[in-house]
Amino acid sequence: MLWRLLRTHISASQLIGFSLANLVGLTIVILAVQFYRDVQPVFDDDESFIRKDYLVITRNVTSAGAMMGGTSEFSDQDIADIEAQPWCRAVGRFTSSEFAINATVGLADSGRALRSQFFFESIPDDFIDVTDAQWSFDPARPEVPVIVSRDYLSLYNFGFAATQGLPRISEGQVGMIPLMFTFSGNGRNEVVPGRIVGFSNRLNTVIVPDEFMRWANDRYGQGNVTRPLRLIIEVNSPGDVAIEDYMTQHRYDVAGDKMNSSKANYFLTVIVSVVIAVGIVISLLSFFVLMLSIYLLLQKNTRKLQDLLLLGYSPQQVARPYMLLVLAINAAVLVLAVVLMLLARLWYLPMLHAFGVAGASVMPAIAVGLVIMALITAGNLLAIRRKVAALWLQ
Amino acid sequence: MEKIELINTLPAVFAGRDPVPSDVWQCDLTIERGQHYLIVAESGTGKSSLCAYLYGYRVDYSGTMRFDGRDIRSLSVAEWCQVRQRHIAYLPQEMRLFPELTALENVQLKNRLTGHKSEREILDWFEALGIPEKVNSPVAKLSIGQQQRVAIIRTLCQPADFILLDEPVSHLDDTNNRIVADMVQAEAARQGAGIIATSVGNHLQLSQSIVKSL
Repeated sequence: MLWRLLRTHISASQLIGFSLANLVGLTIVILAVQFYRDVQPVFDDDESFIRKDYLVITRNVTSAGAMMGGTSEFSDQDIADIEAQPWCRAVGRFTSSEFAINATVGLADSGRALRSQFFFESIPDDFIDVTDAQWSFDPARPEVPVIVSRDYLSLYNFGFAATQGLPRISEGQVGMIPLMFTFSGNGRNEVVPGRIVGFSNRLNTVIVPDEFMRWANDRYGQGNVTRPLRLIIEVNSPGDVAIEDYMTQHRYDVAGDKMNSSKANYFLTVIVSVVIAVGIVISLLSFFVLMLSIYLLLQKNTRKLQDLLLLGYSPQQVARPYMLLVLAINAAVLVLAVVLMLLARLWYLPMLHAFGVAGASVMPAIAVGLVIMALITAGNLLAIRRKVAALWLQ
Repeated sequence: MEKIELINTLPAVFAGRDPVPSDVWQCDLTIERGQHYLIVAESGTGKSSLCAYLYGYRVDYSGTMRFDGRDIRSLSVAEWCQVRQRHIAYLPQEMRLFPELTALENVQLKNRLTGHKSEREILDWFEALGIPEKVNSPVAKLSIGQQQRVAIIRTLCQPADFILLDEPVSHLDDTNNRIVADMVQAEAARQGAGIIATSVGNHLQLSQSIVKSL
């Protein structure tokens, strides 16, 4: 009966307007948050096993330079010069394999296998953030842990697994990729199983433990001493301008897409922030629309509310129907926004799979939606309470 | 609640005017539970204001009003709600019924809050006041006199220490006046409640009352 009395003057169009506006705003916000979290790994350089303050450099050799006898190797003098730079903490050399390697990916006995010539490089263990247990080699029970370029995963998933009917593998399932190496040299021809412990965007190569490399080069190699083609440098701050100047001056290239990806990441962050800001502005405006609508409603029903107060109804009791109305509307808007976000995500996620993105948890985005809605609802409820309380004296 | 005290009270709008002889304003008055008071006044002497002060929805007065010795300005909203539900039954002059609800719904709106009367008792009152056929009519369709009777029934649907009636019979004939007076007195007697009825002309025909002029 109370509801029948108080629902008069409720404007359906105003409430629908608010709900739609808030739905749009909230959906934009949580979708942006979710999209950012889903896409971010594509741009993110964070590799658990190679820290951010490591740079990999190569010498830039033009074709003209190559004809004039230029070399792409780093001399001991070059390395000493880099080590002398104030921003440099340590320099590690890449050691290349000096024997023939054949890799077999897939199930060799089933005939569905990808075979390829391969090469290994190693860097000092200090530069690798993988636990010793994973990153070791025991000649008695040979198994080679490798870190490979992330491109290899794409190659396997899209080029190979897709056409051979093998399951696609996410980064979390790296251990499931069947991998065998055949080492040839020094009159030996031996098969050793391999194990992928991680993927890298920045190292466009195959990295094995130094320990293994020494053992293998001894066993299969000819004993040639080669100079490194690449160096890994631990620096104080990768963003340092002095580093960039030095690299340009010496015609060294910083490997990987680190520079570009951090720009892309930066722009992604900017764009998502703008989108979130727009969403919040829309939500905020819709919040004021609802406030106005409620104020108008309470204004129109002032006499009724005062009459109810005179009958002995408490302000809370007469405010309750309006509070429930707001709660119901806001809860519905939140649920709808989450549903819309999930639908949109179903649509865009397959496109991201091509980049090896599995998708982040949706919980943080839902939590953001919940917090925004809780704030809006709290604001609405507080306004209703204050407005009704103000009707006490007539 | 046993007594209501008015100590040197005066509506703010009267401040600064020449003192008018009154039994209520600017003097000390104690209204006791169980007694019947008829407050006789000319229009514009603050009769409805007095009711509004006693019911807590206006505070524009000087002086002190007390319920059982407690200054009513210090009552909280929650305490006022208790007063309105349990201690003072009030019939406003303008009745303040909800025109879109039926007569019975208007009464039930109060009775549901207090749980004081059964539907049977309420229907009996409608019968006694000669409007049984109006039970399910929207109040908007009733005459002022009929509305006044519905409002009186609603007022009585609560436990009370005082029944405060602002011109309860202004639109009623003698017969209905007497019926209302009997009804109110019976209900007051049942609860040991006091009656405070105001009037500008058509007095509620209480069998005995203390008359105070505003």
